[in-house]
Amino acid sequence: MRVFTCKNRFEDMMTCIYDAWEYALKHGHGNVKLMREPVIQYSFADEYVHIEADEEKTKKVVRSIIRSISYGAYIYVYYATLYYEDTLDDIYRFLNIGFREGAKVTTMLTEPSVIRMMEYKRKVGNEIHYSREFIRFNSIDNKVYVCHWEPKCDIIYMAATHFADRMPSEHFMIIDDNRKYAVIHPADGEMYLTDLSEEELLRLKQTEQYADEYRNLWSTFFETIGIKQRENAKCQRNMFPIWMRKHAVEFMDGKNEKMK
Amino acid sequence: MFELQAGLSVQEKLHILADAAKYDVACTSSGVDRKGGKGMLGNARACGICHSFAADGRCISLLKILMTNHCVYDCRYCINRVSNDVPRATFTPEEICELTIEFYKRNYIEGLFLSSGVLKNPTYTMEKMCEALALLRGKYQFNGYIHVKTIPGASDELLAMAGLFADRISVNLELPTEASLKKLAPNKSFQSIINPMAKVSNTIAENRLALGKSAHMERSWGNQYLRGSIFAVGNGGIERDDNDKIVKNHLSDVSENNISNTDKNGIVTSDNSGVLDLSGMKELSMYGSTNHIRQFAPAGQSTQMIIGASGESDYTLLQTTQKLYQSFDLKRVFYSAYIPINEDSALPSLDTAPPLLREHRLYQADWLLRFYGFQADELLSEDKPDFNVQLDPKCDWALRHLDIFPIEVQTASYDMILRVPGIGPRSAKRIMQARRYGSLNYDSLKKMGVVLKRAHYFITCGGHMMFKTPIEENYITRQLTAVNAKENWQVTHTEQYRQMSLFDDFGVS
Repeated sequence: MRVFTCKNRFEDMMTCIYDAWEYALKHGHGNVKLMREPVIQYSFADEYVHIEADEEKTKKVVRSIIRSISYGAYIYVYYATLYYEDTLDDIYRFLNIGFREGAKVTTMLTEPSVIRMMEYKRKVGNEIHYSREFIRFNSIDNKVYVCHWEPKCDIIYMAATHFADRMPSEHFMIIDDNRKYAVIHPADGEMYLTDLSEEELLRLKQTEQYADEYRNLWSTFFETIGIKQRENAKCQRNMFPIWMRKHAVEFMDGKNEKMK
Repeated sequence: MFELQAGLSVQEKLHILADAAKYDVACTSSGVDRKGGKGMLGNARACGICHSFAADGRCISLLKILMTNHCVYDCRYCINRVSNDVPRATFTPEEICELTIEFYKRNYIEGLFLSSGVLKNPTYTMEKMCEALALLRGKYQFNGYIHVKTIPGASDELLAMAGLFADRISVNLELPTEASLKKLAPNKSFQSIINPMAKVSNTIAENRLALGKSAHMERSWGNQYLRGSIFAVGNGGIERDDNDKIVKNHLSDVSENNISNTDKNGIVTSDNSGVLDLSGMKELSMYGSTNHIRQFAPAGQSTQMIIGASGESDYTLLQTTQKLYQSFDLKRVFYSAYIPINEDSALPSLDTAPPLLREHRLYQADWLLRFYGFQADELLSEDKPDFNVQLDPKCDWALRHLDIFPIEVQTASYDMILRVPGIGPRSAKRIMQARRYGSLNYDSLKKMGVVLKRAHYFITCGGHMMFKTPIEENYITRQLTAVNAKENWQVTHTEQYRQMSLFDDFGVS
């Protein structure tokens, strides 16, 4: 079996699918496997091929998914590429059925790869929604709004599209602390992505400690609005999981954290 | 009215006025999709966005504040009643706007929820609130979500103005019957609550038609396939004539059945309650973000009722709820478990626990009405006026109708599948889609999101049940009660127990 591996980026993955498909046309889809790097455990029986990103091939794959299957299917594929675990082989199997069956593939939930793709889309979609809810911007003198976020899936660009619509005339940036890159939105301008060096990241970390009177006001509001007689920390944790609270102003520095 | 302590800081005011507003339930930002625009601030999403969750587990979506907690009324259940000695404060319109805008930019909130005590008189109060909203929409170009509570008794012009600025507008019904309202809120009359509600409902419908939409509010996707749904045509919903004025909004039914057992004349007159005149509001467009006039309350209207302060049964509450959806096309009805804050002979004593499980059951039933095609009469009846404490309303209904179960998921209709406990609108939709291409099995049902621990008593898949289950009411009741027990315990026992820890409790480190 030949295993096609690639980096964890959209273009790389699409190119990987293209090359694997090309190989499979001669040798059969059953003799192909796709993997995201890093490969943890190599097997003796398989042959590993590393694929580099190629813009043309990426465009071809995206175009044929949209044209021959549906835009909905493309969203499934795109969301699956953002997922934090290796979904590449599932995407490949999903496309396999998709190019055979057409647009109805997204509803064929009795197929294992389709239901897994649905699950990825749901998880990534939910996390995008969580980011819309729980992201907090730190205001730097009302000029720039900076946000740190540590999502599981690679979703800060999708989150930023929401805020670009919401605050088109503000400068803001959303930083993925783990993946070390940021989405930057200049006021009334186009958004772009940029990688961050360690020093830049350290400097940007300080924004979370920046003095801002509205942080206190918000904490006051948050503490006041709960009803004492109805206290229910378990429900609160269900709705706002602890791992997402790291950058939320109202929970920062162990405030309002009821671990019991 | 005067402030005892002059010169309160914004922080102190926020503390007082958020504390006074916390008993209001509706903190939703749903129902309207709106794009942002250059130079403006804000957009809105129909699904609604919660931004935090308070210590009681309730969502914080909007900046929920009162404009003032001064009040000339003396409603028995309310913390802000005139006879209570509490710290009072008033926000200026500018302060409300600044707080909203700055919180919004930091993504703390989704918009503003503005309510108020009655300062001087309803019209004066409403005027002040409209001033704040006009400032927010105009000077600050705020395009996010606004929910405004109207003050019963305010003039029509102000009601129209509030609706044009806000996304959702609401009048609190507070209590489901006229008798209890008279007893607990002596300054409010049923008329003064129902009248604006009907007017707003008519105006929303007329405004929607003028914009080329259907007169009815959007409902969840599944309702179009549910013949028995409370929103379906001919099920006692709103009937309109050619001009789409409400001909008969079934208010009279409401009055006969529940709302007013004592006084029929009380609310029948609001049959021809008319429409608010929006034509005089043209000049509002100068405040608005666009050239054209804003849509009137695009996210509809809602209301709220207090549970457990007066003696109504669940049946009365649920029937009132259904009538409210049908006759006023309300988007939501909220319930608020009564929390004893005032000592009063007309109210439950101060050590009464809030009826949280009852509130939970009512919300479950409310969902069954809005998403599952149930009617109030199916869930409860005169003989059985209260919900089962042990079982949720859907399981309870299914157990009383064991004659139609088990159903075959491969062939059953959508509305039948939706009635199986453990299957919701999403998993029902997935089942409908998936079974067109292949046969289902229990494994795939589980992956589609069906809660089999409840559902497996009521379905067959490919002709057989998951386990060998006797279709006996007693047996299944016992099993389901055990499944529900943990959940019920969590709702009723919010106090926390935990294991002692050397590190936290004894400071060992």
